[in-house]
Amino acid sequence: MTNLANGIESAERGAAAAITADIRDRADPALVRADRVEQLYSQLPLAMVSTIVVGVIASMELHEGRLIELVLFWGGLLALVVVLHALLYMGYRTDAKRHENTAQWLRWLGIGAFAAGATWGFAAAVFFPSHADERQVFLAFLLAGVLSGGIPMYAASWPIFAAYAAAIALPFTYVLATFGNRLFAEIALLIPLFYGVSVAIAFRLNGVFVSGYRLRHAYQRQLVELQEARRQIEASGRKLALFAERSPIAVLELDAQGTIHEMNHAAELLFGYAAAELIGQSARRLVKPKYHPDFERDWGQLMKTRTPLAGVKVRNPRRDGIDVVCEWTVTPLVNADAQLLAVIAQGRDITAQLEAERMKKEFTSTLSHELRTPLTSIIGSLQLINAGVLGEVPKDVTELTEVAERNGQRLLDLINDILDIEKIESGKLTLNPEPIRLDELVREAMLLNKGFGDRFKVRFQPRGELSAEQVTGDHKRLLQVMTNLLSNAAKFSPEGEVVEISTEPAAGGVRVAVHDRGPGIPEAFRARMFGRFSQADSTTSRQKGGTGLGLAICKRLVEMMHGHIGFQDRDGGGTTFWFDLPRHA
Amino acid sequence: MPDRPLQRICYVEDDEDIQRIVRMSLERIGKMTVELVSDPLVAVPAITAFKPDLVMLDWMMPGMDGPTLFRKMKQLPEVSALPVVFITAKATQRDMDELIALGAAGAISKPFSPKDLPEQLRAIWAKLP
Repeated sequence: MTNLANGIESAERGAAAAITADIRDRADPALVRADRVEQLYSQLPLAMVSTIVVGVIASMELHEGRLIELVLFWGGLLALVVVLHALLYMGYRTDAKRHENTAQWLRWLGIGAFAAGATWGFAAAVFFPSHADERQVFLAFLLAGVLSGGIPMYAASWPIFAAYAAAIALPFTYVLATFGNRLFAEIALLIPLFYGVSVAIAFRLNGVFVSGYRLRHAYQRQLVELQEARRQIEASGRKLALFAERSPIAVLELDAQGTIHEMNHAAELLFGYAAAELIGQSARRLVKPKYHPDFERDWGQLMKTRTPLAGVKVRNPRRDGIDVVCEWTVTPLVNADAQLLAVIAQGRDITAQLEAERMKKEFTSTLSHELRTPLTSIIGSLQLINAGVLGEVPKDVTELTEVAERNGQRLLDLINDILDIEKIESGKLTLNPEPIRLDELVREAMLLNKGFGDRFKVRFQPRGELSAEQVTGDHKRLLQVMTNLLSNAAKFSPEGEVVEISTEPAAGGVRVAVHDRGPGIPEAFRARMFGRFSQADSTTSRQKGGTGLGLAICKRLVEMMHGHIGFQDRDGGGTTFWFDLPRHA
Repeated sequence: MPDRPLQRICYVEDDEDIQRIVRMSLERIGKMTVELVSDPLVAVPAITAFKPDLVMLDWMMPGMDGPTLFRKMKQLPEVSALPVVFITAKATQRDMDELIALGAAGAISKPFSPKDLPEQLRAIWAKLP
């Protein structure tokens, strides 16, 4: 017993103790108590049988002396205790909620144990003084037996054992101490010691039981959680497998050497091989031999850095000999110990996309050249006539040639705007940023658009002192933005009005603002102001020109220069369009 | 800046309509003398014969494009020193920069304004060494 107790102690001190203690703490205390109560009640049948056997032998032995009535009374008492325990046992067994009512059942068992102990204590108190030496030895042996027998019986609850043993030992000690015999007085002194040791052992055993039950429940819980975790992992594994299998892009699983371990259906379709033909083969088979040195270099780099790669364009030969250009995302899977588990390569056939891009580029280029060339002749001829190079032309003719020139110019603007938008959106527009003085920019734009203003009988005029601060921007493109804002302001202002241009400090930079006295922006149109082909009133474009792309281009250009563009209502009517740019550092 | 005014222009261009407009613009507004060449393959002898102050080249032409003709001219001593201005509807800024680096005097984008063309050429002429 001591060894076991020491073993437990040393185990608790041991290295594993921390983990074990942690796990035990996860046990549900209610379940642990239910287990203890169950253990205590499961001992009852054996205890009852032992009590009956020992009780019968004791009665037979003791009644040979005197006081037969007293022995019968005691025997009856013991029988009553056994019957009450039997009832208790049956009550416990039939209680459907016994695992919840543990406190109640534990209390009843405690009372029962005390009653049993007290019955044996009664025997000690009554029979010991009235018998001769031999029977006294028998009685002492009997009492020691039933007391120590209680240890395993009530091991799952040391307080019950303590109550049971006290009920036996107390009367017996009292009897021995008051007997008047020196030997018995000495034994009386030893009994509390014996009692103390027994309770200590019961306490230790109780600890072992509780620890065991806690471990059992903690592991059960752990097991349930592990099963749940396993179920979830299996489910996500199935889901992942499904994702890969049903994915429209090719997915390959490779090892560190580049050998194919898995491939999905899309990969089979892409390369024209069945999975079985490629699994176990090197991925180099899917790379054209002349690109193998590149592949080795990139693969070596990938194995060294283990950094995922994206957007890797590779020309892959298919089984039928036709090349496809694929864009690959390559992700090395590395575990917590920095071991490479696999390399996942996901590829998409971009051959058609590249072809479409090429065709679009060709179309744009053709549009640019083939439309501009005839326009050069049309606008050029009309300009020469309107400039008076051919001498005086009848007024009616001039009116029409001016209409033709203006509309030719409009068509050209539209083509230029479409090309600009296309260039910006495909990321092909490059800016040449340089420091630009705001006052110079504004004056240049005013001069450039003076003719346009004159046409609408609108004057451009700076408001207050223009700032001489510098911003960083593309000069040509900033002029384009200014031209757009100024021409819009001129178009929408009433004749004879003044369009004011101001510069002012703004959050994070400087603001250039163009203030007009136009009709204002309709509420419903505000959100679409900077969209493509946006014009609040489509009749305006027919009357005054404009493509509806100007502000969309302005917004993109300003944003490419790290600025913002916007508009607000102007006090007293009209609108203020503005753009902010960061100061030149 | 050259010590004489810009007077003689040779324009290599395959589009007859544009030829006509350029001629009218340069002759009537700019008061210059213009020689037009339609076929870039015979351009070099024509230029040599005409002895222009400045050569204007179209960018896209059948047979030989402007940049190729320009590079060819650079290798021929009789025309290599002539200032060359490109007229183009297509070139990107990068193409232009490349040609300026190779020694082109300037570039005018199509559609140009015939009203302003003589002035534009004179401005380029004024910047020449």
